[in-house]
Amino acid sequence: MRRMDNRGDFIQRLGLDISINILNLLDDPSDLVRACAVSRSWSQFVIENSLCKQLCLKLFPELSSVTHVIEVENLIEPVKISAGGSPEWERLKRDNRVYAFFARGLTPLIKKDCIIEPISASSTDNYPDESIQNTLEPEDRIGFRASYWSSKGESDPNVPEILTYKLVAQLCVVTEIQVQPFQAYFQFGFPIYSSKAVRFRLGYSRYPLELVDGMLIHHRWSDNDFIWMYTSPEFPVAQENELQKFKLPEAVLCIGGILQVELLGRVQKQEMDGLYYICVSHVQVVGRPLSSPFDIDTLDSSGKFTLKYNPETQLPEGEADTPSRLRTFTTRLLQLLGNGPVGNNELDEEPPVL
Amino acid sequence: MKFCAVKQYFDDENNNNITSGASTTMIPLPNVESHPLAILITYCKKHLKIKANNADNKKETEKEMEQYEQELLKKVMPQELTELILAANYLNFKEALDFFCRAVASAIQNKSIEFVRKFFGLESDFELGEEEKLREEFAWSFEGVDED
Repeated sequence: MRRMDNRGDFIQRLGLDISINILNLLDDPSDLVRACAVSRSWSQFVIENSLCKQLCLKLFPELSSVTHVIEVENLIEPVKISAGGSPEWERLKRDNRVYAFFARGLTPLIKKDCIIEPISASSTDNYPDESIQNTLEPEDRIGFRASYWSSKGESDPNVPEILTYKLVAQLCVVTEIQVQPFQAYFQFGFPIYSSKAVRFRLGYSRYPLELVDGMLIHHRWSDNDFIWMYTSPEFPVAQENELQKFKLPEAVLCIGGILQVELLGRVQKQEMDGLYYICVSHVQVVGRPLSSPFDIDTLDSSGKFTLKYNPETQLPEGEADTPSRLRTFTTRLLQLLGNGPVGNNELDEEPPVL
Repeated sequence: MKFCAVKQYFDDENNNNITSGASTTMIPLPNVESHPLAILITYCKKHLKIKANNADNKKETEKEMEQYEQELLKKVMPQELTELILAANYLNFKEALDFFCRAVASAIQNKSIEFVRKFFGLESDFELGEEEKLREEFAWSFEGVDED
């Protein structure tokens, strides 16, 4: 009669397929990581069979388009091969760490408001009334005041405009960007100042961003300040007063948390001065940010990053979400006092166009 | 289909035109011990009985089955789970295999690594400092674990 061997290794006795099935039933990445700490053979088993990656893709299927950034382009937790080390094993260990962090650190529900604050606009008419700050507000009016960003007027309709934003986390999976053009409800004929097309870029700041109380310290921004890792295709924009949704062909991992919205081609002339303007009521980014206390560290300006976990920086529930009304109000107050974000323009003293 | 391996045996016998009938055929199951086999047979019979009782009501079947499964787990020792899984796999009894695999996963969910080692009768084979390094690297996964 065969003796029941309780001390035989569970994984070895059950074999590859069944053991993988069982460990794949663990939905919490913490359980898988602890499995790595049970014994050497368990650790080897989890890493060799890419179980953390499988869990991550199960939780977030859209990440399948993002794996090359980690595994091929080597941008997150870049692998360093020590002399005599096995490159394949080092890569598997790195993948294990990154996917475990992602599985645990990415927000479980898709967020519809991944922008935390504006950085700059290529031009602004009637600053600060028509500043980019207004595009964070979904409504096109607050009380009696209209809420929208307006470019300066141009006689050439081909002059583009660029809006730059900072996302809520330095690492964010972006699936869709939504833009609502502004309809001037106070002008004759209710013109809609949309652009012909829109294109998006995602990237990071060349130099570490300076923050105070979590908010950006602004200076005169130039395009040289940012490095773009991703440029989307051009999407046509309808001349409609609607929140238009531009779904990216594949989910994109934005490392660095900077978004640029390029508005291409002007369609609407303002009757009063005969110049073409572009006006935007609202911009919204849909995706999965890395939630505090998980974060990334820049390695250098090459765009390589490492992951980190800082339990001390954990924000209280709710603060890590949409920019609070108080914060938005404070920013606007600072702008009115001349201390807020400034585009490539001067403070405009003219009253709003009516 | 339960006990597919056994059915296969019957099918093969019939195909060979042996007319001795089910009552005298001996089916060798060298990889299954009597204790786990008994549990699997009981599980199978119970499942069929519950299904027959609730012929049209799939939800009732599931609910009753779940209740029976919870009761069963209380009587099964952790060490027996491995045997049950191996037996169910050998006998090609998919429902039982899925159930016992889920049982193992549930048993170790949110448990400390010491608990998991004890559960499977394992010892740590890490070198000095290796486990510490893992705990540091993945500090977030060691928080909020159930008390042993």
